Amino acid sequence: MFSVNLDKESKTALTHVVENKFSHQVQVTVNEVSKALLGKDHQIRLALCCLFSGGHLLIEDLPGMGKTTLSYALAKALHLKYNRIQFTSDLLPADILGISIFDQKSSEFNFHPGPIFSQLVLADEINRITPKTQSALLEAMEERQVTVEGETRELPEPFFVIATQNPVSLAGTYPLPESQLDRFLMRLRIGYPDQRAERELFEMNTERDKVEGIKQCLSTEEVAEFRRQSAEVKASESLLDYVQRLINFTRGKDEFHFGLSPRGSLSIMRAAKTWALMCGRNHVVPEDVQTILPPVVEHRLRASTDEDGHTGASLVQRLLNEVDVIE
Amino acid sequence: MDINYQIPRSALVWVLASVVMVIIPQTFRMPYWVTVIAVVCIIWRILIFTGKLSYPGRKVRVAAVIFTLLVSATQMRSIGLGLDSAASLLALGFVFKLIEMQHKRDIYVVLSLCFVMSMVSFLYSQGVVTSAYIAIVIVVIVSAMIALNKSPLSIDGRGTARLAMKITLQAVPLTIVLFLLFPRIAPLWAVPTQNSAAGTGVSDEMSPGDISRLVRNGGLAFRVQFEDSVTLPNELLYWRGLVLDDFDGDTWRRTRSTSAYGNAAAFANFRFNWDGRMDTNGMPFRYNVIMEPTQQPWLYGLHLAEPVSDGIFRSRNFEMFNNGLVTQRISYDIQSYINNQTDILLTSSPRRNNIELPDEGNEESLRFARELRASVDSDRDYAMALLNYFATNEYYYTLNPALLGENRVDEFLFNTMEGFCEHYASAFAFLMRAVGIPARVVVGYQGAETNPYEDYMIVYQYNAHAWNEVWLDGEGWVRFDPTGAVSPVRILEGAEAALREDPGFLDESLLATFGSVGFFNMLRLRFDALEYEWNRRVVNYDEEIQFDLFQELFGEVTESKVLIFLITMVGIVIVAVGITIIRVDSSSRRDPVVKLYLSVSKELEKVGLARKRGEGPLDYRDRVIAERPELAEIMNELTALYMQLSYEPEVSSTPQQHSRLKELKAMISQLRYKVSPLAKIGRTA
Repeated sequence: MFSVNLDKESKTALTHVVENKFSHQVQVTVNEVSKALLGKDHQIRLALCCLFSGGHLLIEDLPGMGKTTLSYALAKALHLKYNRIQFTSDLLPADILGISIFDQKSSEFNFHPGPIFSQLVLADEINRITPKTQSALLEAMEERQVTVEGETRELPEPFFVIATQNPVSLAGTYPLPESQLDRFLMRLRIGYPDQRAERELFEMNTERDKVEGIKQCLSTEEVAEFRRQSAEVKASESLLDYVQRLINFTRGKDEFHFGLSPRGSLSIMRAAKTWALMCGRNHVVPEDVQTILPPVVEHRLRASTDEDGHTGASLVQRLLNEVDVIE
Repeated sequence: MDINYQIPRSALVWVLASVVMVIIPQTFRMPYWVTVIAVVCIIWRILIFTGKLSYPGRKVRVAAVIFTLLVSATQMRSIGLGLDSAASLLALGFVFKLIEMQHKRDIYVVLSLCFVMSMVSFLYSQGVVTSAYIAIVIVVIVSAMIALNKSPLSIDGRGTARLAMKITLQAVPLTIVLFLLFPRIAPLWAVPTQNSAAGTGVSDEMSPGDISRLVRNGGLAFRVQFEDSVTLPNELLYWRGLVLDDFDGDTWRRTRSTSAYGNAAAFANFRFNWDGRMDTNGMPFRYNVIMEPTQQPWLYGLHLAEPVSDGIFRSRNFEMFNNGLVTQRISYDIQSYINNQTDILLTSSPRRNNIELPDEGNEESLRFARELRASVDSDRDYAMALLNYFATNEYYYTLNPALLGENRVDEFLFNTMEGFCEHYASAFAFLMRAVGIPARVVVGYQGAETNPYEDYMIVYQYNAHAWNEVWLDGEGWVRFDPTGAVSPVRILEGAEAALREDPGFLDESLLATFGSVGFFNMLRLRFDALEYEWNRRVVNYDEEIQFDLFQELFGEVTESKVLIFLITMVGIVIVAVGITIIRVDSSSRRDPVVKLYLSVSKELEKVGLARKRGEGPLDYRDRVIAERPELAEIMNELTALYMQLSYEPEVSSTPQQHSRLKELKAMISQLRYKVSPLAKIGRTA
């Protein structure tokens, strides 16, 4: 159930690519990261798209599917300062943001930055922490700065959060409310590896060794260049029409519990532009939108009959099948 | 619905505007205190909105209900059960609902009532002005509905009005179709019109002062259109109404069998043998009359009129009657033998009736009549001599004659010597009867105004007139008009010309103020022409005309045809509405590029490769190529061009677009050739 077959998207991912500097860099990075996460090129690409768009990523999957591996490998390939926070229910905001401790020698308070002060933060099992701590994290994600004891501190640039969530054992968890899910640009599922990848996995010693061996593919400067350039990607009238049709389809219908918010629609455009850039184009085509639509929109949609928020996938399929690209 | 629903300010403004607008036409007819209550309720409603007053409590509401019940009970007793009392009851309930509307639901009730109230106006008048006004009212009510469903923050009144206008205009074609073709079902019930709407026009009694009162009225009596655009001179335009033949020394009356004009049969003598009574040689003039409601049953027509329309009855005196009171504007066709003789014979009983005079009084006049008759040879000469007497002596034609005492005819003829047409007609008939010549008074209208813009004639109330008919052996009933002898201008140029200087003529009408100014006169006539056309084409559109239209469109009218037609109409409407709901302007906005590209899918559909819904062009291309590799080249080029035109902004805005479009077109025809069965044969061969 949680490992949707991403057939359609994987096919799309490999086609429609124009060779240029950007698509080449992406291909190299994907190849490098997939050394650690075998056979998951499309998910890696989407994760990259999310990071290049400056958004945060929520990975929701069963334990042991490679969530941590993916984030760690990404950090290595993009040469980002990486920190992992394992969330438990007794974690307090200060444990994430940092704390000022009185230094007896210098007789003054020294700020000890928390694990959030790094370029890529892996927030493991985000639904295990209390709402109070969740909101502290999410505020930092949104504002890209942290205010501790009245002093505002900028977070490093770039700043990405990859949060993971375990969808199965819900006992003792605090599921993220819709308003906070909305803060994540994408929600990804990694899914089971295919047979060939799994066989390859058996032949390796351990996965972690592979991660250690990943080389840097992009510099921080090049990552920033991606972010800058993606804003320059053009979207034509016809494309905007299509996106609006998609959004309007979700609004005011009984089967949708609520429609897409303007933030949601902005996210679609942002991700689609980045995806177009990653495919080496300077304009968005409908296939870009269709590719990024499931991860960007799934967690923002919910059927009106739905209780636990996992009907987004089928709704997105309805969107893709029923809203025509050309009208 | 939440209890604290607050009407958005903009919506409230629209709602109140519609309420005020639907009440305004009623205020002229309702008792004034209903208007006062309406104003109080509207103010109360505004105060509720501003928070200065609260909704009425239970006591107030109960009091309002009891009050309304009492009022309607007393009204029913005083003016009877009918349109007026029903309308004011409705208006009362309507304005009370206004202060009671707490929920959105209530506002919808009020707005629906607004529609009902505006329809009530049509029960009274269906003229151009009312119709135009109600059209505006409907736009306002629709605006209120729109405003109600807008965000409370929206204050875009003009946008609301524009949208309402658009919605209303969209309804126009359907309205026209339904108007023309919807079956006219006779009403299952009729609202009795109350007597408070007093009858206007000529009455069946004439005492001195009656007609001069009517002449002060600038209102419309009827409009006439002659067939073949015949124009008759003013002196022939005697619109006969009633024949009065019973004189009691003061008042002329129509002899009638029953006291009330319940139906036409009661006093028009049917089954009367017309053959031989009138001379029907020669061509009659045919004309159509559209008459304003009079609350009376008689109709007007020229000399020797014969009804062409159904449902009109003639009396033995060639009067015409509608079957029932004229409570609405009606239209009828008649024809007149203007120059022909009526009544070849006068039997003894009507002859007796028409020479009867009161037993005593007016001795001087009787003597004068006998002397004059003795001095001439024939009855005709006597009549002419009388006319000459009126013309040569100092008689005046005036609206304000001196009051008359006991012996009216004597006083008028020899003392006051001034009077209006009824005085002259009355005296003339008296003098005729005095010497045994059958004579009677005819009341009706004389003259008409020709509207140059639409080729028809307008007869106003001030054209009201009374004249005489005298029986001359061998000539039948001959028309004599003593007023014409006194004031020839009245007959030749009309009442307006004759009475312009007379104080009291039309003193309260607009016509008096502006009628003489050329520009306003032009406006007035133009407007009247518009109203005439409206009455003729819209208000008078009935089953008969509808039936003719049907016949013209579909040939013989049968029940099954009508049924099929109705079902088709309803079907078309439902399908049209359905289509608009499902696909709101999909093709109208399409640009040529998209149209061309969609034709690609249509072409490939023939080989089972139609584009799926929601399939992007690149995916589609890939799928097509996977299925039909021989199309790879053309599909690649074609898709690339389409993508360029449609999704690369810098290209789609360049002037080269045109040439690329051509290129695309060429490619599509190439594709058409490639997928055609012909090409397949060529390949396999």
